[in-house]
Amino acid sequence: MASIEFILLPLIGCLLIVMINVYFGIHVIKREIIFIDIALASIAALGSAVGMVLFEMGHENHSHEPHGFLPYIFSMGFISLASFAFTLLRNKKISIPLEAIIGIAYAVATTLTVIILDKGAGGDVHVHDMLVGTILWISGHQLTRLAVVVIIVGAFHFVYRKKFVRLTDSFHENDTGIKNRMLWDFLFYFSFGLVVVEAVRIAGILTVFAFLILPASLSVILSGKWITKLIVGWLAGIVASFAGLLLSLKLDVPSAPVIITILGIILLLGYLLYKINNYKKQIKKIPGS
Amino acid sequence: MGTLVFLAPPIVACIILAGMLSYFGNHILSRGIIFIDIAVAQIAALGTMIGILLGFAESSVGAQIVSYAFTIIVLGIFSVMKVKKQLLPQEAIIGIFYCVALGMALLLAEKIPGGSNYITKTITGNVLWVTWKSVVSCLFMFVPIIILNLLLGKSIRKVTQGEIINNSFGKTRIYDLVFYITFGIVIVKSVPVMGIFLVFILLIGPASISRMFVNSWKSRIIWSWVIGSVGSLAGIYISYTLNISNGPAIVGIIGIATYLAAFARLYSKRSGKEIAATN
Repeated sequence: MASIEFILLPLIGCLLIVMINVYFGIHVIKREIIFIDIALASIAALGSAVGMVLFEMGHENHSHEPHGFLPYIFSMGFISLASFAFTLLRNKKISIPLEAIIGIAYAVATTLTVIILDKGAGGDVHVHDMLVGTILWISGHQLTRLAVVVIIVGAFHFVYRKKFVRLTDSFHENDTGIKNRMLWDFLFYFSFGLVVVEAVRIAGILTVFAFLILPASLSVILSGKWITKLIVGWLAGIVASFAGLLLSLKLDVPSAPVIITILGIILLLGYLLYKINNYKKQIKKIPGS
Repeated sequence: MGTLVFLAPPIVACIILAGMLSYFGNHILSRGIIFIDIAVAQIAALGTMIGILLGFAESSVGAQIVSYAFTIIVLGIFSVMKVKKQLLPQEAIIGIFYCVALGMALLLAEKIPGGSNYITKTITGNVLWVTWKSVVSCLFMFVPIIILNLLLGKSIRKVTQGEIINNSFGKTRIYDLVFYITFGIVIVKSVPVMGIFLVFILLIGPASISRMFVNSWKSRIIWSWVIGSVGSLAGIYISYTLNISNGPAIVGIIGIATYLAAFARLYSKRSGKEIAATN
């Protein structure tokens, strides 16, 4: 069973991302801000690109340390700015969906990053890597960082879970009646941004997005309560991670598309199950009524 | 004069596209399906890859037909999937389609030499390379779409606002299908020329600005067109003087303008009620 050992670290990485992303996914679907994760990832990338350029301007020796301190600080700064803007612009005065604001931030951040990194060659490769990630080659150090962030953010959301659930449930209403709504909204986006930055660095934008949306969609279709939603989503995510990593190793194909395909199949089966149940209910109803 | 001749086709292309996308953008915003064009572009790219795997040469008529057919089928599924009682927001379904299409494209990319190019290709795009020939071919595609949407415009608008046409759920779906297919063709046609982010920003940015300040549907579309055209011209001018790529320059200008407009709206004295009421 050498292959199990080989996929142990990536599997733990996937499971950590699944744990936190299913939770955030249910929030995000309810708020209808589906693409916030991709937007935050590109805003963070823009931040680290700006930081990298400034770092190289200050240091003539051009030491190419990809994850330097300054780029990280800058990506955190950009994420807090974006979180602040998203918090402010969810306002009844603004008659456009927040998703539009998020989408524009995504487009601007990505194109600005391209302008900044234009000088460097191999931009295509960079884009491809950022999309797909390299979770099979995750290092122990990366895994530790991810675990620390996931545990801190997870614990924070667990302690204040009622607050966050109420915040999301009343997201589409003008008067939420929640004290310091702006502060909590900001904390929601910022904590999610922290997770996205670490997760995308390891697994790539696409896998992280898949873990956010697909299992949570399944749980929204199949169940109503928060706790059962979480369990359904987690189960789907765990099965897909395990089977996906194993298959990708056996078939020698990239892991991201395999995991997504499996998640997609699970979602489709879940949808069919829901349809069949509905159909059965209707059949039962007709003779009774 | 030389530069003007050189810049004329991209400018004309931007103005035509700004008009076309201002119409669709206002619909998209009302429906709350912001990322549909990125999903459609990804689905079209996957269609092209399927075409290549079927043995058609790249950018041949065959590969293009496969790409269009594939996109139309997927959009058809998407518009049929709308049920009376919506469980998932449509934007979430778009997210799922996007994700799965991109995943499939990555798998297929392994089978095609240089396949990963097709994935990154949609991201870039350069307005300066637009020629009169592609402007004319865009117009040729757009005229029937404009006529169709003018003829069915009223009903399509009602569907966008969530009404049921003639009390028939099926008829409503047909109008929806016309909307999505015409929209899909515009996106598939324009993304390879302009790049996905330019199309995205022309779709969402101007429509967002006009929606925040203007009430009537018609003047929203006209204002979106004006804003999109002015933004494109400003972007092309800046990119020309500062020597940066023009696509990103336009995206930057319209994007930042939208944020400024949103904050202006937020801190303006006028109440937002009268605008919110007409949504």
